[in-house]
Amino acid sequence: MADKDMPDFSGIKSGSSTTATRIYEVVSGDSLSKIAKREYGDAKLWKKIFEANTDILKDPNKIYPGQKLKIPPK
Amino acid sequence: MKAIHAFSLVLLLSVIATGCGKKESPPAAAVPAPVTQPAPAPAGVTVSNISLGNAIGADKRVVASTSSFSKNDTVYASVETTGSGKATLMAKWTYHKGDMTAPVKENVMDIAADGPAVNEFHISMPTGLPPGNYQVEIFADNKSAGVSKFTVN
Repeated sequence: MADKDMPDFSGIKSGSSTTATRIYEVVSGDSLSKIAKREYGDAKLWKKIFEANTDILKDPNKIYPGQKLKIPPK
Repeated sequence: MKAIHAFSLVLLLSVIATGCGKKESPPAAAVPAPVTQPAPAPAGVTVSNISLGNAIGADKRVVASTSSFSKNDTVYASVETTGSGKATLMAKWTYHKGDMTAPVKENVMDIAADGPAVNEFHISMPTGLPPGNYQVEIFADNKSAGVSKFTVN
């Protein structure tokens, strides 16, 4: 139950990471380099994601919303 | 006389036919009841430990476990899991004041583990976390796996 006397948490920052393989669902506008930038902080690591998903990706430039990609630990 | 012979022949044939006909089948061997083996435990990911701290190492474990934080800290919840397979982990952060509870944040992470793993969730606030009592509840596949309480001073 929120209350006007309760603090405002709208500015909260959060995140998560894992030593396991992470599963990421592609959304519209994504590219492997964008995902690599977001997940690893380095867009150049897109190839690492591509290589982990060659079972479902044939072309690194073609990913589609709804695809679930394995994101290996950095 | 011929009639008697014919009758006897018919009778004999019918006796033979009866004797050679349907043989009584032996009693069916008792079929052993199928042995019910306990189903193997489903492969899955379970949470084995939750610890809080204000810093984590490369292994995602907190450097020093604590339940007391300062407002400028990042609060890390390190969640150790065992088992393998896909799982959805969620950290539900809440703030508590008296009987009231305010949602702070929910983090969701889908993982594919192939053995023991360490996962971390964290929160911070650029303007400083409001002082008070908090808790983080960890869920694995929508089932609560544990609650850790902490304070921010």
